[in-house]
Amino acid sequence: MDIFLQQLANGLTIGSMFALVALGYTMVYGVMKLINFAHGDMVAASAFVGLTIYTQVMGQATSLFAVIAIFLLSAITMAVIGIILERVAYRPLREAPRLSAVVSALGASLVIQNGIMLIWGPRMRIFPELVPQVYWDLGGVVISLIQVIILVLSLVLMLALYLFVEKTRMGAAVRAASIDQDAARLMGINVNNIIALIFIIGSSLGAVGGLFIGLYYRGITFNMGWQYGLYAFIAAILGGIGNIPGAMLGGMLLGLFNAFIAGYVSSTWADAFTFILLILILIVRPTGILGERVAEKV
Amino acid sequence: MKELQKFPYPIFFAVMAVLPHLLNDRWQAVAITFLIFAVVALSQDIILGKSGMFNMGQALFFGMGAYTTAILNNEYGWSIVATIPLAILIPALFGILLAGPIVHLRGDYLLVVTIGFNIVFVQVLQNNLGGVTGGPNGIFGLDSLSIFGYDLMSQISVYYFAFIVLLLTLWVMHNLAGSKPGRALHYLREDQLAAESIGINTRVYKIFAFGLGAGIAGLAGTVFAVQYSAVSPEAFEFIQSVLFFSIVLVGGSSVPGILLGVFVMFVLPEIFREFATWRYFIFGFAMIAAMILRPRGIVPATFGKIPKFLIKGGSHGA
Repeated sequence: MDIFLQQLANGLTIGSMFALVALGYTMVYGVMKLINFAHGDMVAASAFVGLTIYTQVMGQATSLFAVIAIFLLSAITMAVIGIILERVAYRPLREAPRLSAVVSALGASLVIQNGIMLIWGPRMRIFPELVPQVYWDLGGVVISLIQVIILVLSLVLMLALYLFVEKTRMGAAVRAASIDQDAARLMGINVNNIIALIFIIGSSLGAVGGLFIGLYYRGITFNMGWQYGLYAFIAAILGGIGNIPGAMLGGMLLGLFNAFIAGYVSSTWADAFTFILLILILIVRPTGILGERVAEKV
Repeated sequence: MKELQKFPYPIFFAVMAVLPHLLNDRWQAVAITFLIFAVVALSQDIILGKSGMFNMGQALFFGMGAYTTAILNNEYGWSIVATIPLAILIPALFGILLAGPIVHLRGDYLLVVTIGFNIVFVQVLQNNLGGVTGGPNGIFGLDSLSIFGYDLMSQISVYYFAFIVLLLTLWVMHNLAGSKPGRALHYLREDQLAAESIGINTRVYKIFAFGLGAGIAGLAGTVFAVQYSAVSPEAFEFIQSVLFFSIVLVGGSSVPGILLGVFVMFVLPEIFREFATWRYFIFGFAMIAAMILRPRGIVPATFGKIPKFLIKGGSHGA
């Protein structure tokens, strides 16, 4: 039972990080029908940007104000990079065959990943201890302050995003653009702005996810983006890609699944089990858990 | 780029046939690598380029061929040549079995599932399932190639082995392009619904494409195992699949385009060794630029002998 509760806590923590990153994939896919392969590397880049802001700008301060500033500055930096990414690599390819955009995304992923390597070096870096190491022992289950912060902050951000998309005018425009870009344009929605907005939101949520990964796992490497990105992407598909609550649900489920496999089976098989689960779900229900079954347009 | 489409095959074959005698050991090894990866990229082209299925797990079949040869040679003492039929058949069979339940998936979903197969495969190798894959270190110390009692140890003989495999692959692809299955795959890729409505059994042909592509990649795997007389899991990671995927699309699903792609990805970095750390950074930009400037690939595919005036808008064959 202890293992169960411990892995439940770990799973929820990992799951909320997956969910934050998955939102970036799912929102871009929703509107552009493009797998943004560079998103995982943006997440990795954010951890490194956070590291540099901590050492260079904040003078290694770990006060509450400094930590908030690190999060905000990293999110803003990544949002700017996200807009540039969309402008350079994706906008010129909107009318091109689908696969061309996928290759462009893979190219962008290589550029960002190796850009990180050229700037920060190929070796693993240690992310600063921004949050004090506080642990609570709840009858055999150890929960850290970092886990609580990650879980709570992720839930707050996801709720905010959900309310933004469902309750505001701009959110309605985002939903309209993801249903049908041309029809949205006819209704007077500036789809280019919506896409830029999506990249801003997706990249800054991913940036927070990247900082969480740094805080939680401590060691950050230039090529970790593929690993976490792939997991987040699976989470998005599990929930039904293009569906925002689906990405949150998918992230949580995947985090829990992963933690239980690591706890009860073996962590060396975690990837294989995760992908077998994904393959089974796609065979049985190709549109994911919350995805709607849509006939492919002809 | 018109001239490029008339690829001078005789000159290419002649150059490739004498090439190993002009190179030293190191460059012979690079040339062999070029030949092997060209075969894998061409096999990927059958699935991705010719049939339009988003397959991002080609390294799986490549690795399966290599491991079939390695395990049969190392564990059961088969000679390398004797393993070739199984190194083709086993990946082909797996290609068919794996494709069966997934070919109906839409593009992006198919892509993710094939990534999944690749990652499961590598993890199976690393965890040494059944105790025959050698775990993370792989299998080493394979026999060299020997035919009719002649030991073909030298690198030059490995080169010719790889060259023959490439010629075989080109021959298969040439025949495929002019055959009924080849036409079926082309229609399937252009428009699946239209293909179905003129009576093409799309499911059968999709699975056929996977089987054929997997078999050829498996054969390339044998050559790879012979070249290094070893196999290890990291050579078949899904990052490799991403490279094959990109080569086909950047090259443009035509033989010259794919050979150019393989050359740029695997041979240029050997020439510009000092740029090794910049390699992928520059490739990334090149991939973006190539797609923006030539969305259908650097040397776009052509199909059949249809007169120009019958083709609408020049989108044909892409």
